[in-house]
Amino acid sequence: MQISSLLQEQAVLIPLNTADKQTSIEAMVDALAAGGSVTDRDAYLQAILAREQTGSTGIGFGFAIPHGKSAGVSRAALAFAKFARPVDWDSLDGNPVQAAFMIAVPAEAAGNEHLQILIALSRKLIHEEFREQLLQVQNAEQLTDLLETI
Amino acid sequence: MLTREAVIVNESGFHIRPAQLFTEQAAKFTSKISIAVKGTNTVADGKSILGLMTLGLAKGSEIVISAEGADEQEAIDALAELVQSGFGEA
Repeated sequence: MQISSLLQEQAVLIPLNTADKQTSIEAMVDALAAGGSVTDRDAYLQAILAREQTGSTGIGFGFAIPHGKSAGVSRAALAFAKFARPVDWDSLDGNPVQAAFMIAVPAEAAGNEHLQILIALSRKLIHEEFREQLLQVQNAEQLTDLLETI
Repeated sequence: MLTREAVIVNESGFHIRPAQLFTEQAAKFTSKISIAVKGTNTVADGKSILGLMTLGLAKGSEIVISAEGADEQEAIDALAELVQSGFGEA
């Protein structure tokens, strides 16, 4: 799974200056919609929020991976936000989130595409060196390079 | 140390939610918990969501749960039951 190819340039938000989880999620959804991979903003937003209600996607280490599968998504895509101020995400370890990857997958996507993306992301985020470098990236180009190299 | 084999039965595999449920259950015990992919050297900390997700477990994956500590019996029983129940998913 080459996740750098899913990254949507318009949806790389560095920094994202938002006050809370809700506005952060909406900003990332809007960015994916602006890039064209999300065609029905409200439908996709509902899928993301419904997922968060079953349990936070804050996985610890200061990162969150909100994700949703929806008919409002035309093609699989990835957004990234580095928050200007840490955001409370109801994370399992109780710590606020410094950055988030958002995954969008079409409703009719074959098999478990979003699971494959989650696995690929988690295999990078588990490495402390990757997390440190991720928090240093300044733009989409640097992020793409980082996702490709590690 | 106690070990127990189990098979992932839920349709969507070991994504964030099951990993979260597993770590929440594992955290209730003082024993050290780990999950290995059967037949490999790939092991993850049973109390780390991110660690469990890196295993890439899908439906049908065979795992070995290990518990070591004062409450290892209770821990391994509870965790094996959680996996075999499909984490409450269909």
